[in-house]
Amino acid sequence: MSIRPIFIIFVALMLHGCGEENTAPTNSAGFAGLGQDADGFQHAESNSSLTFPADHSAHPDYRIEWWYLTANLEDESGEPLGLQWTLFRQALMAPSGRPEPTPWAADQLWMAHMALSQDEQHHVAERFGRSHSQALLTTPNDSQAGVIASPFHAWLDDWQLKANDEADNRNFDNLTLTAYSGEDASRFGYTLELTAEGPLVLHGDGGFSQKAANGQGSMYYSQPFWHIEGDVTLNGETKTVSGRGWLDREWSSQLLDARQSGWDWFSIHFDDGHKLMAFQLRGGGDDSDNSGSEPGADYRSGTLITPEGRATPLVNNDITLTPLASSAVAGREVPTQWRLEIPSVEIDINIEAPHANRWMTTSVPYWEGEVGVNDRASGEPLGEGYLEMTGY
Amino acid sequence: MTQILSTLLSHYRRHPGQLAMLLLGLWVASALWSGIQAINATARDSYARADALFDTQLDQLERRDGAPLTLTDYHALRQSGLPVSPMLEGEVVTQDGTRLTLIGIDPLTLSSNNALSQTDSSASLTDFLAPPWQTRAAPDTLAALGLERADAPGATPLLADGNRLPPLVLSPPLPPNTLIMDIAAAARILSSGDKVTRIVTAPDTLTEAPDGLMLTRATSLATPGQLTESFHLNLTALGLLAWIVGLFIVQAALGLALEQRLGMLRTLRVLGVSGRGLILALSLELILLGIIGALAGIASGVWLARVLLPDVAATLGSLYGAGVGQELNLPWHYWTGGLAVSLGGLLLASSGVLWRAARLNMLQLGQMQAWRSGYRRQLMLMGIAGALALITALTLYGWLRFHPPGEGLVAGFGLIAALLLASALWLPLLLALVLKGLTTLTRRRPLIHWAFADMQLQLPKLSLAMMALLIALATNLGVGSMVGGFRLTFLDWLDQRLVAPLYLNAPAEQYADIDAWLAERDDVSERLLTRRSNATLQSVDSAKGSRTLGGPVELYGITPGESLTPHWPLLATQQGRSSAWAAFDEGSAFVNEQLATAENLSTGDRLTLSAPGINETLTIAAIYPDYGNPSGQILMASPQLAARFDAPPSSMGLVLSDNADVEALRTALNERFDLGRDALTDQAEIKRIATEIFERTFTITRALNVLTLAVAALALLASLLAQARTRRQQLAPLWALGVPRSQLAWLNLAQLGGAALVTGLLAIPLGIAITWGLVAIINVAAFGWRLPLYLFPGEITVTLAMAMAVAVALLAAAIPALRFWRASPRALLAEETHQ
Amino acid sequence: MLKLDQIHKTYMTPQGPLRVLENVSLTLAPGQSLALMGESGSGKSTLLHLAAGLDLPDQGHIALAGQNLASLAEPARAKLRREQLGLVFQQFHLVPSLSVIDNLRLQARLAKREDADWSAHLIERLGLEGLEKRYPEQLSGGQQQRLAIGRALALRPALLLADEPTGNLDETTADEVLELLLSLVHETQCALLIVTHSLQVAAPLDRCLRLRHGRLLDAAL
Repeated sequence: MSIRPIFIIFVALMLHGCGEENTAPTNSAGFAGLGQDADGFQHAESNSSLTFPADHSAHPDYRIEWWYLTANLEDESGEPLGLQWTLFRQALMAPSGRPEPTPWAADQLWMAHMALSQDEQHHVAERFGRSHSQALLTTPNDSQAGVIASPFHAWLDDWQLKANDEADNRNFDNLTLTAYSGEDASRFGYTLELTAEGPLVLHGDGGFSQKAANGQGSMYYSQPFWHIEGDVTLNGETKTVSGRGWLDREWSSQLLDARQSGWDWFSIHFDDGHKLMAFQLRGGGDDSDNSGSEPGADYRSGTLITPEGRATPLVNNDITLTPLASSAVAGREVPTQWRLEIPSVEIDINIEAPHANRWMTTSVPYWEGEVGVNDRASGEPLGEGYLEMTGY
Repeated sequence: MTQILSTLLSHYRRHPGQLAMLLLGLWVASALWSGIQAINATARDSYARADALFDTQLDQLERRDGAPLTLTDYHALRQSGLPVSPMLEGEVVTQDGTRLTLIGIDPLTLSSNNALSQTDSSASLTDFLAPPWQTRAAPDTLAALGLERADAPGATPLLADGNRLPPLVLSPPLPPNTLIMDIAAAARILSSGDKVTRIVTAPDTLTEAPDGLMLTRATSLATPGQLTESFHLNLTALGLLAWIVGLFIVQAALGLALEQRLGMLRTLRVLGVSGRGLILALSLELILLGIIGALAGIASGVWLARVLLPDVAATLGSLYGAGVGQELNLPWHYWTGGLAVSLGGLLLASSGVLWRAARLNMLQLGQMQAWRSGYRRQLMLMGIAGALALITALTLYGWLRFHPPGEGLVAGFGLIAALLLASALWLPLLLALVLKGLTTLTRRRPLIHWAFADMQLQLPKLSLAMMALLIALATNLGVGSMVGGFRLTFLDWLDQRLVAPLYLNAPAEQYADIDAWLAERDDVSERLLTRRSNATLQSVDSAKGSRTLGGPVELYGITPGESLTPHWPLLATQQGRSSAWAAFDEGSAFVNEQLATAENLSTGDRLTLSAPGINETLTIAAIYPDYGNPSGQILMASPQLAARFDAPPSSMGLVLSDNADVEALRTALNERFDLGRDALTDQAEIKRIATEIFERTFTITRALNVLTLAVAALALLASLLAQARTRRQQLAPLWALGVPRSQLAWLNLAQLGGAALVTGLLAIPLGIAITWGLVAIINVAAFGWRLPLYLFPGEITVTLAMAMAVAVALLAAAIPALRFWRASPRALLAEETHQ
Repeated sequence: MLKLDQIHKTYMTPQGPLRVLENVSLTLAPGQSLALMGESGSGKSTLLHLAAGLDLPDQGHIALAGQNLASLAEPARAKLRREQLGLVFQQFHLVPSLSVIDNLRLQARLAKREDADWSAHLIERLGLEGLEKRYPEQLSGGQQQRLAIGRALALRPALLLADEPTGNLDETTADEVLELLLSLVHETQCALLIVTHSLQVAAPLDRCLRLRHGRLLDAAL
């Protein structure tokens, strides 16, 4: 998965500020400041290679990073239900400027989002935390937020994604996710068992995912094959759920081109077992590639994954994304119906959000929700997935 | 109208003294009043800011054993899903020695509707969280840091210990003398390691305290605004007094100015000016003068407030722990209010004068023909008004007797005011009677006879000043005895309470070990462990029925050993001291006087107390005095408090055996437990600190008292100056008849001195009445404690007051007398009798 | 009784020094009466004040009852005034705080020379019977001036100094008061110096001197 909302930078600037900048997401540093310069940080490069389990952990020398899970589930009565859980990391300063690791001193800012959606209901919660990258982490008690590579454990307070104690906990294939928010009747959250039914998938060039025509990008891998079972609490009531999940891992020091203003990102589970990730960054495409296009044209990328986990990178010219209809959400127009064409792999599908109200009312707002996928020609349902849209 | 007005005002051109006196009266009246209002307004603003901050808005968690919480505890709480936030609080000393409160917070976990989120002044969160961090402070904290406002943003002031504060960011909503910064920066400056002062959470997010922790609800923490209300009421009463005294001067000046202009007014009427036009012109004149006087007064009031504010702030800080800014912070309504009060007072003082001007008889050309009968009528009216005031006082007294003392603050002030007013109104009547009697008695001594007869003549002009003097003197005496009495009682009470020569303060978890260790030593004969906790007083069951209360109380545990119980003062018991202490040992409670007063509790009542997870019922066995404590307190035996409320130890008194070596004990304790030098406090040191706090408390009262007295002296001087000319004319014939000038001057001084002396003597019983009112009504209502009425007969207070009265009058008389001395005799006799 | 010898008196005024008396000499024997006449501002009141010891001359000597005023201190001059002089002013200068009878007896009492019969006689002669308990401002102008005369004569002074004693009174009253004054002076056998601008007042007296611009017009005796 490509560009996930690393809102943290934006949060860092805006948490207690006024809403002025909210209305101007197309500032020169791109959405949420993700396009700003990253001097002093390490940069994602095409020849970087990934090592596991070490790379499941945090990369504090890069400015931004996330652990991002979305899931399309259904409850006992077959009603669809969507959820999201994300842990974001943001370095407060370049490695050279870090304070000494005295108690409370922090060089990393953490933010976690959770969302649970069914029908017209959409519940959102957000938490913040701090840590110091030089603090030695052996148990979660050592920091308010953090990630331990093995046995895997990512947490912010009691919102935790970790290796399942009962399974082989050296392995990334069995995880438990817990997060709850609210009190009594308004309580919502989930305890889920995640089982990987396929391998990790590296996007782009061995995990390096280019994000702009000028070559900047991120390290990006996914686990799109989660089978999920567990309990979900909604309005204080608990139900048993099961379904499919997608976990994205990405880190970078400069994600966007300064001209890029936002993105549309799709993760799709086809019923035939294929998975598809596609995104477009609005603005920042290569002018020379597309002689007819405007300066600052969109940049598109993606990965088609076979049921066995083989990945086929998709490049800018392979993909055509067309918004078909939009809905009024939270005072703005957001496209909630798309046509996605990838002729090279014979994909021409309609992607539609059944519920337009999946607006994330977090410190940096964005749209994130479940979508259904139909064949463009026949209208036959082909699968489901998640759509994320920022910068609207 | 302009013509009439300018004609009226031309009087002051010829008599600038009267104008000066009028303005002086307006000035002092509004200066003292607005000064006090400025102090109150500033203090209230500070409270409002402090209330909006953390302490009173957030529930607090502390460890039951009193040990400090750490970073790891905090992480564990967060990981158990509790929405808690860490807070570090400490004190830093600036280079000029001011102590500032430093609060370290974690903005990421502090609930977002808290004051901090409004504290942001466009700075980013990153700047707050990351080195070099930020210090947020209100502009009125800058003075303590030695900074001007313009230089403040970004400055990094040096502290006394050599640390530098992170760059400053101004944040006006913060309370004064408070620095806010990220907890990481605060931990560095306070060298607090991984410890936190407390862990807070948004109100009512936790239903009960986690294991091993104690939860204090925000609602059970009294806000500084509530605690200090009575203090400000006292200040306001003093301000009102000064205002009234100032108005006496205004009234005197206006009366004189009118009397001397009666002829002019008649002429104007005869020339065709309507009565209404005349009143309008006079009112315009008054408003004009009023605005000038009030503006000058408010300006000086602000100055006065600026001078007094540090003392007020110190008092409030030490007495109630309430921070008050050292810089005035005045809302708009302060200015309009001050002007309105001054003009209102002027209108009040001038109503009589305007009424007289309105009833002016055009044809009555004689000037003072009717003054004698007129004055007699005036005295009668004053006598009746005085009687009414006395009846009011008696009514209020009756009301107070049938109401709980806690409700009587306003009525108590009303009673004192009515008493003062009655006395003031009766004073001229009394003086007139005394003088009449003395005049008759001294027929045989012509000069003395003349002097008394002459005093009668002067009385109408002097009586207002004398009334002001009486009020000021009586108040001074009253407040003086109250303060003196309080000091005696307080010191006595301290002696009774502080029975142990040494007091030990240690981390709560160490007390058990220390206790065991001390038990083994010969040099410590008794160990008096105290414990503290908080609870909510839910309800009371008494013989009269059951009531629901719901206020916060302190719980205090003491060890009722043989050295403590015989001395511990008790005000009321159910069946004598010994049975009270026996019941205490078995789990009954004592309540302090202020709680008993506030909630109308008596011995034998049963109290239901609740703390998070705890519900207990206690019987009141006794009521004890607890001077200086602003809140209600329930006393229990230490073991009982530990068992029933899980209260942590707070200190330990050490009673030493006869041959104990304090230094050796101190050293041994330190070696064994590593407590630091400050862990053991001397009894004498505690007494010194406590006494110092109370000395400060009364500094402002005394300062304002002296000012009021000075105003009264000014009133006297002003009335004397105003009639100096008339006086000279009255004295000149005597001189012509062969009374030497020196003798006349001395007589004049003796007259005024005598009048002041009589006033001073009359002020003594009045002062005693006021002391009683302060001690038995105001203090009980305001603070909840009743002091024994201490008087110091024949002692310094009274003598001093009389000396002061005489000195004040002599000084006041000296100036006109000297002028008489210097004036040319020819001029004296040539001056026209009628002005 | 009274002897003025080459008296000079100058007052400082905002307009510069004002020469009020210039080389004035006069003598008044015991029992004798003298009228001093002159326009307003001629210096006659000043001369009276000097004679009473209320002020001192710049040059010259004044002897009153055989004592040189210049050589006496203020208290001694006051004593001399108290015991030897009666003063009657145009403005009456009664003591407003004292009753009629107390005003009348004031100076006599001050001089410790009160004579109750004489006082009673004076009250009767002055027509103030029944008004003893009143206060000065409750009397008419004529009554007030009669009271002032009574006060001056109550101690039987050796010399009565009167400054325009009828100047504030209407004509009829003035005549009555003057008549009474002269009659009582005669009864008391004291010397009398009246300062006046009225010929009518001056006429009945033994002698009459005129003062103009601070100088005596008639040859001094």
